[in-house]
Amino acid sequence: MTTTNELSLWTDVFSTKTGAVYQCDTERCWYVDFAGKVARFDHRCLMKLRKAVYAIDIEQKLLNTTTDPDVEIIFICACDHCYVLSLAQIINLKELLEGSFVMLELNHIIHDRIYSNPL
Amino acid sequence: MKDLLRIKSLISSDIEILLNQQVKKEAQSSSIYLAMASWCNRNGYDFSSEYFFKQAEEERHHQLKFYKYILDMGGNAVSPEVTGIKQEYNSFREVFEDALDQEISVTNSIKNIYAKCLKEQDFVTMEFLNWFLKEQREEEYKARRALELFEVIGEEGTGRWQIDKHVGQIKYDSEA
Repeated sequence: MTTTNELSLWTDVFSTKTGAVYQCDTERCWYVDFAGKVARFDHRCLMKLRKAVYAIDIEQKLLNTTTDPDVEIIFICACDHCYVLSLAQIINLKELLEGSFVMLELNHIIHDRIYSNPL
Repeated sequence: MKDLLRIKSLISSDIEILLNQQVKKEAQSSSIYLAMASWCNRNGYDFSSEYFFKQAEEERHHQLKFYKYILDMGGNAVSPEVTGIKQEYNSFREVFEDALDQEISVTNSIKNIYAKCLKEQDFVTMEFLNWFLKEQREEEYKARRALELFEVIGEEGTGRWQIDKHVGQIKYDSEA
């Protein structure tokens, strides 16, 4: 469990109706609040999560008419967390991650243009 | 909010993907040259076989250069899967035609990465790529010169034997 004090150190990166991503500068990591849990990801694991989620072919799954359960297990090697998600949740998680990475990219541009260039 | 992505890696994820693609391309080149060395050796073109063994070594060296650069910059270097290498050729000339095509495709690929770096103002990677651009001058020259030998010597009579002998002597020592 996280205390209010710890939470205050977190910066909102991006949030949707179904989840949120926070950045913790002191721990140099991100917290992903999704599917009923808050999971901690370092840089390496967040990249792996992104790769795993982006690699899922949602269109193919939507068109798939077999009777397989509509569930995807996202397991990341050498990472403590695992997600078992429905198709709708995968779409939501992808949206959350895409938004988060746009925001992180924007943050990078801001750092690059404003903080690094005194002009 | 700290720029954690930048703290972890000097190169952007887009550049990292392109560099990893280049690692794969160099690995493929190395394998293609090995297959060419085998074909030439089997068909009695020993000097050309030796030439392609050297080229395969060089491409492997290029691959490792890219690989280590990605790691040194904080990225994730991916060991590539190399499949579908052409093993048989219809003629001696076809081997060298394919070699030139391969070099042209490597040059284009490096130019694409350079263009992306320019767009992102990634001057560090651009400086790293300068060595490869110069190297491609030599690689393309050698491949083009080998094909030229087919024109100037001709394949008739002992032509192919002569060509093979001269392929081993191709050198690029321009100071320009």
